[in-house]
Amino acid sequence: MPNQEKFPLIDATEPNLMEETFGYDLPPRIKFDGPLVEYVDGKPVEFSTEEFLKRDFYVTDTTFRDGQQARPPYTIEQMVHIYDLLSKLGGPNGVVRQTEFFLYTKNDRETLDRCRELGHRYPECTGWVRAVKADFRLVKEAGLKETGLLTSSSDYHIFQKLKFKSRKECMDSYCEVVDAAFEAGIRPRCHMEDITRADIAGFVLPFAERLMRMSEQVPEQLRVKMRLCDTMGFGVSFPGVELPRSIPKLIYKLNREVGVPTSRLDWHGHNDFHKVHVNAATAWLYGCDAANATLFGYGERTGNPPLEGAVMEYIALRGDLCGIQTEVITELANYMQSIGFPIPENYPFVGRHFNTTRAGIHAGGLRQDERIYNVFDTTKLLNRPPRVALTDKSGADGVAHWINEFFGLKDDERISKIKCHKVARWVMDQYEKEGRMSSISDQEMEDKVRELMPAYWEKHRGSTPGEGYDRIAD
Amino acid sequence: MASVEDRVIAVTAQVLQLNPKEIKPEHAFTTDLGAESVQSVELVAMFEEEFGIEMDEDEALSVQTVGDAVTYIAKVCEQQGIDV
Repeated sequence: MPNQEKFPLIDATEPNLMEETFGYDLPPRIKFDGPLVEYVDGKPVEFSTEEFLKRDFYVTDTTFRDGQQARPPYTIEQMVHIYDLLSKLGGPNGVVRQTEFFLYTKNDRETLDRCRELGHRYPECTGWVRAVKADFRLVKEAGLKETGLLTSSSDYHIFQKLKFKSRKECMDSYCEVVDAAFEAGIRPRCHMEDITRADIAGFVLPFAERLMRMSEQVPEQLRVKMRLCDTMGFGVSFPGVELPRSIPKLIYKLNREVGVPTSRLDWHGHNDFHKVHVNAATAWLYGCDAANATLFGYGERTGNPPLEGAVMEYIALRGDLCGIQTEVITELANYMQSIGFPIPENYPFVGRHFNTTRAGIHAGGLRQDERIYNVFDTTKLLNRPPRVALTDKSGADGVAHWINEFFGLKDDERISKIKCHKVARWVMDQYEKEGRMSSISDQEMEDKVRELMPAYWEKHRGSTPGEGYDRIAD
Repeated sequence: MASVEDRVIAVTAQVLQLNPKEIKPEHAFTTDLGAESVQSVELVAMFEEEFGIEMDEDEALSVQTVGDAVTYIAKVCEQQGIDV
């Protein structure tokens, strides 16, 4: 009997580039081929991905609140400009649905007024106050419809920080403040701080149940929202993990057992264990409609879910831009850097080297088909063509790629690496003969191209200089 | 006038800084003569200059040995009407 291979080769003479997933015009799609399954209390529970995609999930922003807690204050002008760009980024469908403001100082309140004067529908402006009744006067005077309240949920906070004598005393205190919000006609959004270190059955679920009962007494637009704050980044996304660290189980308990609608659940993460973005996306999947984020992930300590990452995830899940203007991400990065906000060079989507390759073999791939080493059409979506940074590893391919991008040459116009050999030799000599340890700067390359390729310089110097070379500030 | 082979060997010796007498037609540019990546590109560029021809980049860079280069360059010269 002939040997039957379990996985026989499916031979092909044409490539299968799987363009239905890796379409290049958009970030690669995330497609599901079945439900998510999690064991809760020993029984398998399904989370339908089809139902997930029908939900109106979105991003909420906390750049001006958590994001600002981790840096020197923004000026009013800076915040108004960032708010304007956030609105452009999120588009008319409100993918960036809300953003929250402090209300304690004159500057805080003026900023809020100036942002609202822009007349944008999204992001909606909400507040953030302490769980203190008197603070609702500020929210009401500011004319806001919703505010976040600090309602910490772990015993670390209840006993060690807030010094309550019992959980009951703590819950009663929180609920008094929620009542005060209702009386003021303001929707409370309870920020359940440190929830991934809290006693879920002993405090979180009873508190959520009480909030649901209280909400039955008020109109829909006032009903309590609950923000699940993974304050220390302890949340875990994958199945099989026990509470309180399991994000799937936590959301299941609140959504399906307590009955909190997905539209009133919001996930707020921190990046202490490098899990912040995937945890936010996981919260979307399992039943939080809102994923709270900050621009470039800037926030307390290790930061929050990066808003631009959430936006890209949204597009990948939806398979459509949904009105999002992705190129504004580059505009925001340039602006933030111009006001002293550092962005690491290898940071996804906006770091100087995010779509830069150094290896010659990668540059060779880029030369043949840019899709080989570029995650999506970064020229179209981010105004950033793929580029190479030149070192001793770049080879003639890397040099040729740099020169073609610099001159802005496409297709048949592109100069072959043969014609770039003098510049390639100069680059190699820098390392082999001069003992150089740093990469070659754009200015040095420009000077060398002018010197060693004068005919091409003469012919192409009128072309638009490669846009990737000046769009992202150093 | 020197033969195509002599001219190919002379260019190869100059670019790779070798003694021309040590270069044989059967020698492979990379494994026998030690041509590195950028030197391979320089070789093609210098052959173009020496013979006054334009070579297809991918075809030219796929040539392995000195003898194959002689054959390939002679063919390109003929196609482009260059007397050698």
